[in-house]
This record gives sequence, structure tokens and C-alpha cells, in this order.
Amino acid sequence: MNRFTKISLQASLSLVVCFVLPRGAAGTVDDAQSFALQAAEPYVKEGFQVREDYWGGDLGSGEKKAVRQQLFKGNEYWFWLGTEVERAKISVHIYDSEGKLAEQPDSWEKGHFAAAHVIPKATGSYFIIVAVEESPEERTHWALVYGFR
Amino acid sequence: MISFSKSLKLSVIALLGVTLYASATPAPQRIDVKQMSKKVENVVVPLPNEIFGALNKLGSVNWREYVRTEKSSNFTERPRIALLLGTVIADGFIAVQAEDAPAVKEIGQRVLSLSKGIGVGNSITPHAKAITEAADKRKWENVRQELDRTQSSVQAAMNEVHDEKLSQLVSLGGWLRGTQVLSSVVTKHFSADGAELLHQPDLLVHFQTQLQAMPEFNLPIIRDIQSGLGEVKPLVDVGSSHISPESVRRINEITTRLDNGIVTRD
Repeated sequence: MNRFTKISLQASLSLVVCFVLPRGAAGTVDDAQSFALQAAEPYVKEGFQVREDYWGGDLGSGEKKAVRQQLFKGNEYWFWLGTEVERAKISVHIYDSEGKLAEQPDSWEKGHFAAAHVIPKATGSYFIIVAVEESPEERTHWALVYGFR
Repeated sequence: MISFSKSLKLSVIALLGVTLYASATPAPQRIDVKQMSKKVENVVVPLPNEIFGALNKLGSVNWREYVRTEKSSNFTERPRIALLLGTVIADGFIAVQAEDAPAVKEIGQRVLSLSKGIGVGNSITPHAKAITEAADKRKWENVRQELDRTQSSVQAAMNEVHDEKLSQLVSLGGWLRGTQVLSSVVTKHFSADGAELLHQPDLLVHFQTQLQAMPEFNLPIIRDIQSGLGEVKPLVDVGSSHISPESVRRINEITTRLDNGIVTRD
């Protein structure tokens, strides 16, 4: 195949991809999950087991979502939130069943990554609140993974 | 005295610090749980090893006592296979706690054959192979991870073909076996902290709600589990009080009865 044919073929393919794929295909919850897992990576070396199960969805700017999770006293947990929208700002916070902030002070937010650390004082249900604080997109995919040790 | 350039640098650093600090959204100290509860997503069911890990920290457990490898009955009803599959995966986590390589390998093969029985064998074959390899090398962390992946893959495959209810039964089977073992360990060596690990009322509600939405699975075992969960709920829903030794013993009786129902033919 000569250089011209190769370039023409690539350009045609790009055009096909641009027109055929829906707008939403620019990012998915699976992409968001890979960013959440990226945030979790350094903690695996510290002995955290990251669960395969995860939560995900999409939110508009300023919207929040709560997920409920059973946590066990004696374990230590990190929750990692990620989105593929690089200019978005997201956050994750953890509350106990009474609605009291339960996370450790080393929880953090860095643009399209955020993480919350909790050492449960009691075994029971906790609320994990995820939020898209700011985003250039109308809807922003998010994924939340967690690990424990 | 600080030079101009140095003070400029310090100001820039201070400004950057303030900007970075300001970019972190301060979390409210309290939220209205009642209001929030309306917007809550489904719970992720904890894996048995998450509970076993917390239990281990309370004192050493003789996990070998709980290893189970004998083959259970063969079923043709898909809901029964799904429940059994969850139970067998939980047995895998117990065998890992006991660091029993032959048991892990046997359980890996059993998981594969049950998955085939329910039509999701293809997605499990690589995990079963990885479980065997990791058990041979006694890489227990890898076995744990593969068991988690196995359950996740089974459920993803079921969800893909809209068998979400079967997927929920896999989680339920695993949770019941985990709770049976947890309550057995705590019955034998009672401690308030150990008993507190059974404080899972929301998970019980979660399973009860799911079972109520499965009227098409009109099987005796499903009805037994429904009534068993109803018996367990008041024993664990104790608010800030402690779960008593008597309650733990009762939970163990109920979950043992249900587990027997899952692994044996009616």
C-alpha cells in the first residue's frame, strides 16, 4: 500500500468514526473507572485490596450522589473517585449512619481524582457522597472504587 | 532582611498554597441522612474476605476447621446453581484464609463447573486457571484477587444477558456462607467486637428487598432464605446496643440451616 492510499484510508476511517460514533462515546463509566483505579494504584503497594465491584454513573455540575456501604470496624478503607473529564473537579466524602463526617484528614481532591480515607469506629452502614463540583461537560461520568486492609 | 526576589517567591508559594487549599471543597461536618437516603444507590455486598480480615484482627482463627471441599448436590434450577456458586466462592475465600492449596484448587474447578452449568463458563475459565496457578505458587493475595474477579465476571456475564436476579443470588449465597462462618467463629470465642461484625441490618434489608422482587423463583430454598433473613434481622438490628452471645448463636443456627439448604437437595 503506497503512502497516499494509507493516508486516505486513515482519513476516511477517522471521518467514519467521527460521524458514526455517538457523542457520548467520547467517554464512558469504564473510562472513569480506569481513572479511579489509577488513583488506587499506589495504595495497592501499601497492602490495600481493591474490590472489582464499583459504582458509576454520570452527574451534572454541582450534582451529588450517595452510595451506601457496609464497613467493618477493624478494617481500614479508601474510596477512590475518578472521571475521564480532565478539567472536572470532583469530590468524595464519607459519613456515618448518623450523618456525621467520618473520614480521616488525609482524604484528598486533585482535579479529576478524589479519595476519602476511613477507619470505621463502628461496624455498620456508611454514606459515601460523590459530587461533580465543576465540569466543562454537561454530564460527567464518574466511577468509585474501594479498597480495604 | 528578605530580598525582593525571595519575598516575591514566598508570596507566589503562599498564593499557590491558598489557591490549592481553596480548590479542595470543604466537606460539611453533618448531612441530613433522611434526605440523602432517597438518593442512595444500591449497596455493594462485601466479600467474605473483607469480614474475615476484620475477624482475623481480633485474634487468630483456625480457618482449617471451616474449609469445605466436599462436592455438594448437582442442581438443574438456575437460581439454586447461582446460590450454590456464591457459597462455593465464599468457600474459596475460607480456603485462602486457611492457606490450603489443594482445597483452593478443588474449589476453583467446582466454581468453573457451576459457572458452566449456569451458562457463564467461558468468562470463568481464565480465572479458574489463574486460581490454580496462584494456589500452586501459594500466592494467596493473587488467589483472593482472582476469586473477587471470578465473582465479578460471573455477575457481569449474568447482567449482560439480563440475569441480574441470578447475579444477586450469587452475592446472597456468598454472604450467607460468610455470615455462617463469622457467627460460628464468634460463638466459639465470643467478644463484643466480633459480634459487632454481624451488625449489618441494611444489608439484610437489601437482600430481603431483592428476594421480594423474585416471585418467579418459586423454590422452597428461596422461601426458607426469605423467612431466615426475617429471623436474623431483629437479632442484628440493635442500634448502638451490643449483639448478645445468644443472638450470635441463633444467627449461626439460622445461617447453618440455610447453608445446608443451599448445598443439599430438598
